[in-house]
Amino acid sequence: MSTKTPAAPPASQELAKKAPRSSGSKKFFRKVEPYIWIAPSIILMAIFIVTPIVKVFQLSMSKVTRAGLVKGYNNFENFSKVLKSPAFALVLKNTIVWTIAVVVISTVLGFMLALVLNNKFRGRKVARAIVVFPWATTLVIQASAWNFIINKDYGTLNTLLMKIGLISAPVNWTPTPGAYFAWEIACGIFVTIPFVTFCVLSGLQSIDASYYEAATVDGAGYFQKLFSITLPLVKSSLTVATVLNIIYVFNSFPIIWTMTKGDPANHTDTLVTYLYKLAFYNGKQGEASAVSVIGFLILLVCASVYMIYTLRKGDDDL
Amino acid sequence: MSQPVNTVKKPVSIKKTILRVLLYFVVLDVCVITLYPYFAMLCTALKNRVEIFSGGTVLPVVPLWSNFIDIWSRAPMAKYMLNSVLIAGGSTIIAMLCGIPAAYALARMKFKGQTAFLGFVIVSQMFAPVVLLIGIYQVMQRLGLTDNILGLIFINAAFNQAFTIWLLRGTFMGISAEMEQAATIDGCTRVQSMMKVLLPVAAPGIVTTLIFIFINAWNEYTVALCLISTDDYKPLTVGINTFNGYNMIEWQYLFAASIFAIIPVVILFMSIEKNLVSGLASGGVKG
Repeated sequence: MSTKTPAAPPASQELAKKAPRSSGSKKFFRKVEPYIWIAPSIILMAIFIVTPIVKVFQLSMSKVTRAGLVKGYNNFENFSKVLKSPAFALVLKNTIVWTIAVVVISTVLGFMLALVLNNKFRGRKVARAIVVFPWATTLVIQASAWNFIINKDYGTLNTLLMKIGLISAPVNWTPTPGAYFAWEIACGIFVTIPFVTFCVLSGLQSIDASYYEAATVDGAGYFQKLFSITLPLVKSSLTVATVLNIIYVFNSFPIIWTMTKGDPANHTDTLVTYLYKLAFYNGKQGEASAVSVIGFLILLVCASVYMIYTLRKGDDDL
Repeated sequence: MSQPVNTVKKPVSIKKTILRVLLYFVVLDVCVITLYPYFAMLCTALKNRVEIFSGGTVLPVVPLWSNFIDIWSRAPMAKYMLNSVLIAGGSTIIAMLCGIPAAYALARMKFKGQTAFLGFVIVSQMFAPVVLLIGIYQVMQRLGLTDNILGLIFINAAFNQAFTIWLLRGTFMGISAEMEQAATIDGCTRVQSMMKVLLPVAAPGIVTTLIFIFINAWNEYTVALCLISTDDYKPLTVGINTFNGYNMIEWQYLFAASIFAIIPVVILFMSIEKNLVSGLASGGVKG
């Protein structure tokens, strides 16, 4: 038998011999072995994901000094403070508008784009490579670019539209906080579309062309085929993409932080930018943690739907 | 090559021609809109301050290529770049070292708590680092890793575990276990059969996962913004904001630096685009 690889869990050589008479220790090892394999991953996630989760829950229920010292349980005072503050209702509304607008619009547009890109045409490879750009670019840079483009004094959108002759004087694209927020949503949609498109494309490519041929023979039109073949068959890819998007978009920080920092007066804040300011600008770690927990609870509903869906699917395959 | 697969050959109808033209029109529009921000960035990076703030030009009057050189002396760009490489590289290595065995166990072994572990992996995606920043900060303080590249490496590796395990499990499950079983009978240990038989076959999926984590870590902004305060340890995403000062924004430098941050990632991403789609399909969708 050749030498053991350094990463080998102890006694795995024993196992490999496949001795018919398995002694007690071998049996024990076979039981324990899978846990050795998943241990590094578990340790990594336990320290850097689970511990912070526990910390946040603990802080949300405690009185916390500005210096971050925990001063014991305080009867959900952080939650009541957060819920009572006038800004919170606005921030929550923004978060819901932001999440729904970005997810719904990017899902619809991304799906349509996938249908277009699934056609065979010259330059398809180039088009697909270009579409991936916004997905690959870090959000801070994308958001800075948009901030520059829509600037009313020297932004290139005004310059461009004036050159083409569509407008005669520079337009103020962001007259109100609401308008700024709409631009942030547009930027969010722009960067989210590629993910949807590629998830749907992966679903589309697995559809057998013979379905369409049969439908054509039966005289089905384009939309009939779309609704009775395409949609049902990409439903699972679309569901996964949508649920993941809800989570990503809900938690998205860089676009809003780069473009407006949630200003003026929380008008463009979502939960994540709001809690960042509470924690690291105002030193209210307890309240910020309470906002985090509220965010989890909202997402938990989405995640549990997703988990039930994927795990059930996984069991079917096993 | 451009021949549609599932159509019978017949004379080209007018309707078809119109549809073709429409298709190209839509694709062209999408490409132009997608590339526009990059075009604007490149043009701006080649202008001088006065030209930018007076507006009125799309293309630079005289391309000022020196902006791309100036940024290296105006800010510690080389350091930012190195930090980004270290963070992204380190995160990738740790995420893979932890993720490959876990994905292997999930794909090839049956054990109690398997579903629970998988469930946890999925749920962990729900917790974005930004919502946990307060907790992360405290953990890092405890470990003495605030304002430290190593801290960012661990965080990125941990938050990419879900994706790593998910993609790799899908890849491994798509590969028949017969070869490994044969190798085991020939006297290989489990680790040997994984290293010598499974991993080479799974290489495309592994490379895809690897590049994907690298890109995620390279693009990470929020945790770095929060944890790193010393200029020496900032990655590019945070560092380039040096040009985005409180009083004035040096757009030309900001965008010149941004282009340096974008290019490597876009190239990497384009290289895995095709595999990523099938990876998402096998790992994420088919379960």
